[in-house]
Amino acid sequence: MLTRDENELLTRTNRGTPMGEYLRRYWQPVLLESELPRADCPPVRVKLMGEELVAFRDSSDRIGLLDEYCPHRRTSLYWGRNEACGLRCVYHGWKFDVEGHCVDMPNEPAEYGFKERVFTTAYPARAWGGLIWAYLGPRGADEALPPLPEFEWAVVPANQRFVSKRLQESNYLQAVEGGIDSSHVSFLHSTLSAETHVSSTLGLQSAYMWRDKAPRFTVNRTDYGLLIGARRDAEADTYYWRITQFLLPTATIIPGPMNVDAPYNGHFWTPIDDDHCWNFSVSWLPGRPLTEQELQDLQSGNSIHAGVDQKTFLPIRNARNEYLIDRAKQQRDSFTGIEGVSEQDSAVQEAMGRIVDRSREHLGTSDTAIIAARRLLLREARDLQREGRGPAAVQRPAAFRVRSASMLLRRDVSYEETVKDTLTAPVR
Amino acid sequence: MTTGPNPSHVIAVEDYGEATLRNLIAHLDVSHSFEHCIYRESELDAVWRLLDIALERGDGAVLPRERLLELRDAIHQAHDFAADEKPHEAAARLRRELRTV
Repeated sequence: MLTRDENELLTRTNRGTPMGEYLRRYWQPVLLESELPRADCPPVRVKLMGEELVAFRDSSDRIGLLDEYCPHRRTSLYWGRNEACGLRCVYHGWKFDVEGHCVDMPNEPAEYGFKERVFTTAYPARAWGGLIWAYLGPRGADEALPPLPEFEWAVVPANQRFVSKRLQESNYLQAVEGGIDSSHVSFLHSTLSAETHVSSTLGLQSAYMWRDKAPRFTVNRTDYGLLIGARRDAEADTYYWRITQFLLPTATIIPGPMNVDAPYNGHFWTPIDDDHCWNFSVSWLPGRPLTEQELQDLQSGNSIHAGVDQKTFLPIRNARNEYLIDRAKQQRDSFTGIEGVSEQDSAVQEAMGRIVDRSREHLGTSDTAIIAARRLLLREARDLQREGRGPAAVQRPAAFRVRSASMLLRRDVSYEETVKDTLTAPVR
Repeated sequence: MTTGPNPSHVIAVEDYGEATLRNLIAHLDVSHSFEHCIYRESELDAVWRLLDIALERGDGAVLPRERLLELRDAIHQAHDFAADEKPHEAAARLRRELRTV
């Protein structure tokens, strides 16, 4: 249960809001790297936390992220010409480099020297782990940027990971909360038999999740965010643990199948505005390239990677077509009648409304992980707002080198002691 | 050998009776970390929802409506103390409520 004020604080992300300022202290994924595939390729519109921007890759392969609107007459630089290390407005020819300097102003007499005095808003952007990341926060006195988080999926070779992107038509926090809620997996993503999901790359096959639908949660505060353990009864002397991470500010890692050499999976949610967010999903293998079969499964639209329109990234199964729900299938064998793990998530999270009123919820002990994530975000955003204390995790990039897991543990074995050293991704 | 309440253990909340509230108080008294306060908040959420649903349903069979309202307010206040990582204030609020029974 949150107050309305707390809900507002957590969900509003425009510049100047407490959460907007907090999130701007982190690097945020904003595009697939494939959306800016080569130098001087067409620019791409980017909306991030309410800011309308345009991204481009210049002739030197540097990535620029500028205010979408030309400071001259406020038309869109999206129509611009990406040429010779700058983005040129097609209206009057003003041209800007990746740092926002106006480097050409051909419609003004050169002797006036206007261009030296004109800048547009520009944010640092980097390619990292198959994604383009942006930093919208303040810089240090020496103009230093925070380091990029060292997610294992970002540091493995490109052929060991698969990344995708989809539009979600809700506030980012609803999506994040879905990502750390192990309890829903036994329902939303299940079938009517003990085989809870058909995708071979997802860790949802366990019969334990089907048999014990009321996990008990353990949360631990960590340098990167939260370590979340969901414990289910397994055999007479064992528990089944599904261990996930909530990584500040808006990411999760979820385990692959138990005892199988299958990909790890994760999500990162980036607020577009208060009513929409991007879901970046990633699957990776630490030790070998993905096989053709694994790639096919990840691209099938039946895993955590949704089938989407390649221009808009709107899922093919979306609210407008009721996610192509098949009621007969729902009666027969699927809990939802909706295909695709991501689409199942979208259906329930978007149906809550663009920003759910959390003052009207009825939570309980099965919502422990969600409660913990909210409290952590609230605490961090307030620390920044009241005391100017920025998030410590930003300066600890190696803390993000963690892995999730699903495992059987004897009931008399301490979960905390067991996982303490086993969920860290080795440094290569 | 007797053992005291374990603050890392989440209580199974099945009702909003006096025994449940005393168990909650005992766990609040020994809670001191972020994690403990999260567990206590989730337990108080669980008690609050039972009370809220009882009120919405017009369930006056167990306790009079006025008493349900008082209890729900007290749980709400204790919840907000736990959320603020003030478990001892939360315990004190529940103790005060129990004295009025």
